[in-house]
Amino acid sequence: MNQTSRLRVENLNVFYGQNHVLKNISLSLPDNRITVIIGPSGCGKTTLLRSLNRLLDEQEGVRVEGRVFLDGQDIYQPGVDITLVRKRMGLLSQKPQVLPMSIYDNVAFGPRLLGLRDRRHLDDLVEKYLRLAGLWEEVKGRLQEPASRLSIGQQQRLCLARGLAVEPEVILGDEPTSALDPQSSRNVETQLLNLKENYTIVLVTHILRQARRLADYVAFLYFGELIEFGPASEVLISPRDSRTRAYITGEIS
Amino acid sequence: MNNEPERGIQRKLRKRLRVESFFKLLMAASTWLVLASLVLILAIILWKSLPALKLSMITRNPGSGYYLGREGGILNAILGSLQVVFGATLLALAIALPAVVFLTSYLRQKSWLAELIRFSLDVLWGIPSIVYGAFGFLIMITFHLRASLLAGMITVAMVELPILSRALEETIRLVPSDLKEATYSLGASRWQTATRVVLRQVFPGLVTAVLMAMGRGLGDAAAVLFTAGYTDKITTSLLQPVATLPLAIFFQLNSPFPEVQQRAYASAAILTVLVLFISLASRRLSRRLGRHKIS
Ligand SMILES: Nc1ncnc2c1ncn2[C@@H]1O[C@H](COP(=O)(O)OP(=O)(O)OP(=O)(O)O)[C@@H](O)[C@H]1O
Ligand SMILES: [Mg+2]
Repeated sequence: MNQTSRLRVENLNVFYGQNHVLKNISLSLPDNRITVIIGPSGCGKTTLLRSLNRLLDEQEGVRVEGRVFLDGQDIYQPGVDITLVRKRMGLLSQKPQVLPMSIYDNVAFGPRLLGLRDRRHLDDLVEKYLRLAGLWEEVKGRLQEPASRLSIGQQQRLCLARGLAVEPEVILGDEPTSALDPQSSRNVETQLLNLKENYTIVLVTHILRQARRLADYVAFLYFGELIEFGPASEVLISPRDSRTRAYITGEIS
Repeated sequence: MNNEPERGIQRKLRKRLRVESFFKLLMAASTWLVLASLVLILAIILWKSLPALKLSMITRNPGSGYYLGREGGILNAILGSLQVVFGATLLALAIALPAVVFLTSYLRQKSWLAELIRFSLDVLWGIPSIVYGAFGFLIMITFHLRASLLAGMITVAMVELPILSRALEETIRLVPSDLKEATYSLGASRWQTATRVVLRQVFPGLVTAVLMAMGRGLGDAAAVLFTAGYTDKITTSLLQPVATLPLAIFFQLNSPFPEVQQRAYASAAILTVLVLFISLASRRLSRRLGRHKIS
């Protein structure tokens, strides 16, 4: 693997109270590639993803040990500005969470946080990122409508546009298509494939076929342990570990 | 052969249906009781006040001899009540809103401070308003203040504070944590999340809470009894005494003159209409303001 990685996890352990849910995970996420995290329900996929942008910190009773490096800086060091870390990663959640405001304001939310006020500039950004998320044509005539009126599939692409507008380097997705119909899922997948040229993408999914369609690299988690990590062609087709093989053939789920 | 168990099942089914229809009846009866008491109260107040309901009631101050049954109205008390309640609600909101945002967005929910604040609010909620009245009175005596609009506002604000805080906390707590996390993951700070997203999401609920507290404050007699004083004029300064509707009702009802007693009921009708108006407004508003709200 001759890949550069701006996002690196080192000896990460996560506890919910006494419950040890991530066990000594070390992982380098290759730049400009899609890394898909797979594994049975409850194995810690969501937890791993949320540890990357320190969203775990918002939960109560969580303890995180170990290090996560973003461009060489450990984001768990005391004194690190969490909001700056998060601005460098966009997050797509399982159920799209639009903000209680217009379509336009949703996309402009991030730039406005950064202090951007110029209307013309904002207009341009909103259009640019809606196009990038493949939503512009559908909503260009109704930008001032409440975002909650969009269909679920459109809402997820709006969340993508909103995340991109913060100009992150990394996109995190936690089963971002699981609430969508097949057509919308395809649509989001297409956008992600288009985006990987310029972004580092980390996706959680439990749909193996989706992993096959999207993944450059695959990480297999099992009961909080990273069992196998490597290029998709290796992990999905000829896995080294018997547990990975069992999962891929559907013997464990 | 399998007729026996069949019959058993049928018997059980019939019994369940009987039980269900009994409880349905009970619930319907309770519902009607609630409606009927509302209608009854409104009807009686209106009927008793009919002889006294004249336009001058709401357009004039009490004239000389008003309390003996002569000319005048209770404009002073209507305006006074509104003055007190607007001031009190602003004051209560100015304290409740930051406190609740701090409680819900900054504190760990199980921390001792959060528990302490919530417990205090529960206790404050349960304290009868006459106690706040007495407390306000004590403060006035200590600082040699007269009964005044300001003292009334402060005391009514104390009555409204726990109502407002609790209603606000309940609406803010209903904001999905996923929504907050979505905002955090865009790099928003807690403050930005609270002011730009959470308050926006709960804005209809916030308006409802404010109007609800106003309704309570408007009708509370005990809080203003010792603290606001009473006057037959319209109050123009925070340090002057102020007339209020609950006290207007109280004084007039105590009168031996039937004309004045009728006016007490008319005052009650006016107060009820004001409260009703506020409830209706809060319903209309919260529907209108909820346009952007996500569910
Ligand atoms: N807030 C929490 N408090 C306590 N335990 C939790 C919490 N969230 C998750 N867990 C536990 O941590 C473990 C990992 O959960 P996680 O959500 O990361 O799994 P997952 O792989 O994403 O599962 P799924 O495929 O079902 O989404 C599970 O055993 C879960 O019960
Ligand atoms: Mg999950």
